[in-house]
Amino acid sequence: MPKIEIPLKDFLPLAKMENTDNLEKLLESLKAELDGLNDKTVKIELNDTNRPDLWTAEGVARGLRCWNYGAESHLDSMKPPAVHIDVHSDLKEIRPYIAAFTAVGWKVNQDGLESLITAQEKIASSFGKERKTAAIGFYPLDGLSFPVEYSVTSPDTRFHPLGEESEMSFSQVLEETEAGIKYAGLLSDFKSYPVLKDSSGEILSFPPVLNSFSTGKVTPGDSRLFCEVTGTDWHTVNLTATILACNLEDRGAFISPVEIRYPDGKVTVTPVLYNDTLTATFAEITEMIGSPAEELDLNILLSKMDYGQIKVSSNSVTAVMPPYRRDGIHPRDLMEDIVISIGLNNIEPILPAEYTVGSAAPVEILARSVKSLLVGAGCEEIMRPILTSTEKITKRTRTPELPIKISNPMTAEYGVVSNSLLPALLEVEASSGHAAFPHRLFTVGETLCRSTSTLCNTTMILAVSVGDGDFGAVHSILGVICHLRGLDLSLKPIDDTRFIPGRSASVLINGEVVGILGEFHPGVLEAWGITVPVAGFELPLESLKV
Amino acid sequence: MSDTVSKDLHPLEKTLLSWLVENGSASDMDAIAGTKMDEGSYRRAFQWLLSREMASVLSSEKTVTVELGPVGSIYAEKGTTPELVLLEAVKNGTSSLPEIQKNELFDRAQWGSAMGALVKGRILSKGKEGLSVNDVSGGVFSLIWKNVYSVLLSGATLNLSDLEKDVVVEVTKRAPKRGKSRAEFVINETSSNVIEITQAGREALKAAAGKSTIGILTREILMSGEWKEGSFRRYQVDIPPSRIHIGRFHPYAMFLDSVRDKLQAMGFQEMKGSLAESEFWNNDALFMPQFHPARDIHDAYYLEDGVEVAPPSKIIGDKVKAAHEDGGNTGGRGWQYSFQWDRSLKAIMRSQGTALSARTLGSKPEIPGKYFGIAKCFRYDQVDATHLPDFFQVEGIVLGEHINMRHLLGLLKLFATEVAGATEYKFVPAYFPFTEPSVELHVKHPTLGWFEMGGAGLFRREVCEPMGIDVPVVAWGLGLDRMALLALGLSDIRDLLNPDLTKLREMKSTPEKLLGGGNNA
Repeated sequence: MPKIEIPLKDFLPLAKMENTDNLEKLLESLKAELDGLNDKTVKIELNDTNRPDLWTAEGVARGLRCWNYGAESHLDSMKPPAVHIDVHSDLKEIRPYIAAFTAVGWKVNQDGLESLITAQEKIASSFGKERKTAAIGFYPLDGLSFPVEYSVTSPDTRFHPLGEESEMSFSQVLEETEAGIKYAGLLSDFKSYPVLKDSSGEILSFPPVLNSFSTGKVTPGDSRLFCEVTGTDWHTVNLTATILACNLEDRGAFISPVEIRYPDGKVTVTPVLYNDTLTATFAEITEMIGSPAEELDLNILLSKMDYGQIKVSSNSVTAVMPPYRRDGIHPRDLMEDIVISIGLNNIEPILPAEYTVGSAAPVEILARSVKSLLVGAGCEEIMRPILTSTEKITKRTRTPELPIKISNPMTAEYGVVSNSLLPALLEVEASSGHAAFPHRLFTVGETLCRSTSTLCNTTMILAVSVGDGDFGAVHSILGVICHLRGLDLSLKPIDDTRFIPGRSASVLINGEVVGILGEFHPGVLEAWGITVPVAGFELPLESLKV
Repeated sequence: MSDTVSKDLHPLEKTLLSWLVENGSASDMDAIAGTKMDEGSYRRAFQWLLSREMASVLSSEKTVTVELGPVGSIYAEKGTTPELVLLEAVKNGTSSLPEIQKNELFDRAQWGSAMGALVKGRILSKGKEGLSVNDVSGGVFSLIWKNVYSVLLSGATLNLSDLEKDVVVEVTKRAPKRGKSRAEFVINETSSNVIEITQAGREALKAAAGKSTIGILTREILMSGEWKEGSFRRYQVDIPPSRIHIGRFHPYAMFLDSVRDKLQAMGFQEMKGSLAESEFWNNDALFMPQFHPARDIHDAYYLEDGVEVAPPSKIIGDKVKAAHEDGGNTGGRGWQYSFQWDRSLKAIMRSQGTALSARTLGSKPEIPGKYFGIAKCFRYDQVDATHLPDFFQVEGIVLGEHINMRHLLGLLKLFATEVAGATEYKFVPAYFPFTEPSVELHVKHPTLGWFEMGGAGLFRREVCEPMGIDVPVVAWGLGLDRMALLALGLSDIRDLLNPDLTKLREMKSTPEKLLGGGNNA
């Protein structure tokens, strides 16, 4: 979840708040958590991954302002575009989309600049998929000559990137600069790279990697900005541009749109404001909240959530979601905002009236029965993780079937899924040499095995072992369980690499082969570092079903 | 205690007292030799007599001796310590730990701790250029070899008090009281006493003279009637019992069973599923778009190539695809992207228990119905005190024609009081891709304070409609780990699945107190 850190001297005036007294509670309405607070800064964690607008100081402040003082207008006084960007046709496969605007009249200060950088990082990394679907650039407007051209260029093109000491080629940028190395993967499939140039041919930036030193450096005191967002997904690009425009407008800038001219003749004025209209009927609202919608003041409730053009009719409500949001994809989303605005803790909890009969899963009932018998037999229950290692299953224990591997393990220690629980019991034996005897152990747990050549299957397994015990010790435990459950137990000799030759057997219950029982081979014990004899058995729990 | 009790003597006591009467005061060693008792019996008899004031200590002297521990014995066998070898190696130009660790004379950990000790003791220093020697003499580490190992190897007894001060510090550090299997040295404290019999002892001995007492009551004594003539030796009944190890359920399993019982009592039926899931059931069916960062929240373990999970039915598959792409028949507009089947069918280890609920929705559940599942889930996390590679979540759904937000909150309130034993609780707006509205349940625990107990919400239409469910569905999930740790008095989550029997045997067995914050016993 994104976390942001904001200086209080910037945040409190922006949020129109005197102090932070009630901040933790207020943040709940934004699905945000207070992550840290001192007398200089506040840290906030944002939990809604569909609300990138909130991942900035301006976004959180706006949410709190609206909650306290009602809805605001956003970008509704934009004039027709005065400038435009030409998009080159070769970008189609590389990075086709761009949205841009200018922001004039707000003098950039240090806090505001840092907030722009935070937005650039947080939105582009998570929402923009590490700058793939959206990357952001800011530039001083003065000195740029329009139209700007969004085009492609050869890797040999040279410019002076921001943050570097001298001029270098685009391919050098990808090989030698920190940002270049990080984002080179986005361009590795292409022979030419995106570039933004103004009409004089001056390079503005190498999207999505670095701005130019000469044209792309915003400093405190600038009051005229050009902002662009490029990427591979139009909606991500446009929403990101809209969020930034709203943020700068909140800071006091006047936003003007920029026209984008695509090579196929299509023209788009950006940012395109979504202003999604959502409608919910009173019946739906009543059904969801459990109390009559007619009794709610929907105008006030939705205004607190920054909805505009709220229209309440005799049986429904319609409202326009602010343009910086695009997460309203179902009437339910409008209804959730109504619920948040009412306050979850203002809704009276009741219990479902309809009677239902509870029950445990049959395999769990069986597990409990069998476990009770094992406890009566003096066995101690063991629990171990399901993820384990080839080392433990195959190398040390010599389990004949190979376990299913994890293709992206975090460590080899948890690189496979258990297909047998005997290794877990041996591991306990190996870790418990100093523990007083007896060591009669059992475990019941799920394992994953191949059921066909491609499919896999989860099975609940019972495994039992006795440390400093022999074949007879485990045989008698299995024997008494089968006896008391009325099952017919027999053993049939079988060779199994885990066990001493001549001291292992297939377990047959009611005539069917279900499991294995034996005295572990000294080689297995040595591999585990166990210095007492150990015997064990393992079978699917279901085989003990009566 | 009456006089008869205090004067009744155990055979061991009788033996020791008789010997003391004849020999006057004596040292422990003399008494052991004289009475021919083993040391354990002697100490027991002596302690008993002391506590009953039948014997007294004239003088007492403590000696502290050093012996080799298991690790020390290995070093002794090799004829050197890792510190000395490492020091020599650095003198000869070795400059880094990894380099020396290639030497298999000692294991990696032993090299590592030797390195730490040498740097800490300022014998070596670590700089940009690698390792360098500060003190070619080897300081305390040479002294340890000369004054400790050599002496012990000669078979002599070594008193700690005979050693130099810094050697004592280093040796003591390497003689841990716990984890003796890794100890380089073992420090033994023994006290030797000079003891004598007291007046009370003489009287007790006199009173006991000639009297035959029955110790263990045997079948023979019962059969012969011998017990009718004799008297019974009185046992000292206030000594602690010896510890036996009995069969029992794992405390964590008992905790999970308590949760299972509680949910059954609330009218929930248990769901069971597969450890491996397709991304379809784990994510897509829960309306988590394939492109969205929300999928990053649930970073998953993917199974090796060639291992699959059975695909969903075509009807359900197509409807989920439509819900993602344009909303289908859900009343919404969907995520507006092109749904990828190859992504959807990838097999992963189940990352959230909600996958179970999704499957239940798709297999014609009872309406009204309540379902729960205690599901093993897998998260891509480093294992530490708060993360296990796999862990249990309890999840569930409630379906019914008239189910609404108030019921959701009512259930959460019930969980807060019944399961966590919360004194206070609150509901906080939350975000989950599959529920709208979404709620977090925060509870105030009597000892833990406020914590997030679980998440819940009304399943989105985009989740229910493709499964053919047209009634409201409440979905909830509770984190169990924190409550389990608290209920079992643990602070490290790895201890829930500890492979060490001695640790397991320290865990208490009070299943009746595991839920409700331990308040409902």
